[in-house]
Amino acid sequence: MAAFFKLRIVRDLGVALIVVFGVGSIAMLLARVSPIDGFSALFDGAFGTTSEFAETLVSATALLFPALGIALSFRAGLFNIGAEGQIILGGLAAGVAGYLVPGPPVVSIVVTLLAGAAAGGIWGGIAGYLKAKFNANEVIATLMLNVVAVLFATYCVNGPLHFPSANEGETPLLARTAWLPTIIPDTRLTIAFVIAVLLAIALRFVFTRTVFGYELRAAGEAPDAARRAGIDLGRVAVLAMTCSGAIAGVGGATIVTGVLHRFNTGLSPGYGFVAIAVALVGNLEPLWIGVAAFAFGILQNGALSMQAEANVPRDIVNVIEGLVIIALAGRRVISARRST
Amino acid sequence: MNETLAALAAITVLTLVKATPLIFAALGGVLGERSGVVNIGLEGVMTAGAFAAVIVSGATGSAIAGAIAGVLAGAALAAILAFVATRLAYDQIVAGTGVNIVALGGAAFGLVLIYGQPGASHEVPAFGPAGERVLTILAFVLAVALALFLSRTPWGLRVRACGENPRAAAAAGIDPLRTRFWAVIAGGAIAALGGVYLSLAELDLYSDGMTAGRGYIALAAVIFGRWSPIGATGAALFFGFFSALQYTLQRAGIPSELMQALPYLAALVALAGFAGRVRAPAADGVPYVPDNVRA
Repeated sequence: MAAFFKLRIVRDLGVALIVVFGVGSIAMLLARVSPIDGFSALFDGAFGTTSEFAETLVSATALLFPALGIALSFRAGLFNIGAEGQIILGGLAAGVAGYLVPGPPVVSIVVTLLAGAAAGGIWGGIAGYLKAKFNANEVIATLMLNVVAVLFATYCVNGPLHFPSANEGETPLLARTAWLPTIIPDTRLTIAFVIAVLLAIALRFVFTRTVFGYELRAAGEAPDAARRAGIDLGRVAVLAMTCSGAIAGVGGATIVTGVLHRFNTGLSPGYGFVAIAVALVGNLEPLWIGVAAFAFGILQNGALSMQAEANVPRDIVNVIEGLVIIALAGRRVISARRST
Repeated sequence: MNETLAALAAITVLTLVKATPLIFAALGGVLGERSGVVNIGLEGVMTAGAFAAVIVSGATGSAIAGAIAGVLAGAALAAILAFVATRLAYDQIVAGTGVNIVALGGAAFGLVLIYGQPGASHEVPAFGPAGERVLTILAFVLAVALALFLSRTPWGLRVRACGENPRAAAAAGIDPLRTRFWAVIAGGAIAALGGVYLSLAELDLYSDGMTAGRGYIALAAVIFGRWSPIGATGAALFFGFFSALQYTLQRAGIPSELMQALPYLAALVALAGFAGRVRAPAADGVPYVPDNVRA
């Protein structure tokens, strides 16, 4: 039992829970709402009915994809702060591909998801390439690319990729064949959830059992030793940022094909940033990240009913998530490599 | 001829308007980074400054009181980063990202709590054109002052020593943790003025997302300006000029999104082009752990 509490993940979850309930309670008191009412509205909104529970899993899925991508880059000692932009461009690519490429259901779904992966991968890869080739700081690069992504997507859907049947800032509704099948009928919970979980399992295998996973860890934890051992750090940077972006891009694509059924420039309410908290709480380990994504899904989704039922502005959830990030910024694994 | 002159004058004024908040934020960034702490949270610090300024100006009816509150709010938010980045040796990039999220969420939360509506505050007493000019002049004065501070004063030397080699600085009797702590807080106070300018000079209210990535452009301006206050100010003017051009070129039929993206694209190019030739302070972004704390 003592060993259990010494696990870093357990301590981190404990810190996160303290922040959630501590700050949440203070915020509710500020809004003149009893924390008991506030939190019960939150949990009721997250678990109350089947469809509410499904929505919680929908939020968790939207967070799990970018969090897995972020974990991959963090493991390589690279700060991909650009998941938000990668989600948006992945969604844009999926929205356009899903509309333009008709086909039987399976084909059309595969095409849209691959389009999302490609777009996100390119966007992440740019930062990786700039890092490898010019030693450009990937933090600043991905922050810039986030803003450019939003502007680019807005320009596209209102300009060259504007279809007559679409509203401003959107692509047209996708053909039914491109919609992801639901796993709970009459909800928005689709196989995206299953894909995300399978991806987490696959990444666990990649991280622990493959050469690439080893190279990521070596580059992240001991870059000098890695270089001397013949690992091409530039190649690892490009690959890691591309994969990281591709995973976030698929996440964006699944929001389009599974939830909204069209691309909308506002498709992500900051999933790419909240996912940093998810990745950190999950200790950069895929399966724990899955647990963390579920916890944050409860927060994201419960916040809506907390606002509607208990009159606590849902933005407090962002404050909580930001504080969790700050509280867990002491990770050894991401602090190791700062001088290349 | 007169029309050309008028157009030039207009774009110069607009450049100054757009550059002023960037100058403040970039100067705050320079001060932090020269001490060895990267403040990714500049965007959040500006948000805190803009928001607190509006709330206090609205409550007291005094824009000056608002500005002071904005500066204090920015310093307080930066203090969180300063604490975790020094005493706890936490990762500065990750913590700074958290700071941004906290500030944006906190302002949105406060807006609903205080004004009972999401999105934007009511209009509050603001500085007006005269105050706007004073703030712009203040930005340039601060740039020169910070340059002199860093290059000519013993405190400036201490700050730079902590950014280059904190261990040697410690051996010389300087406390790197304390120096960095106060440099980040002072940097936050300066950067917050950028937010104050946005909400009380350019406008007279706070609206969600009004900083619109300016804190990130300021980070690029720091690099572009080679970590010097004067250089960063020049870079901020350059980015401000691009923002100003946006309005002119938009009338020429160039898509506004492309124009808005220009400063960011310029920053990306600068990042790639300059990265090999300029050098950040050697210990920039590296947590300092005193020897006696190490196991």
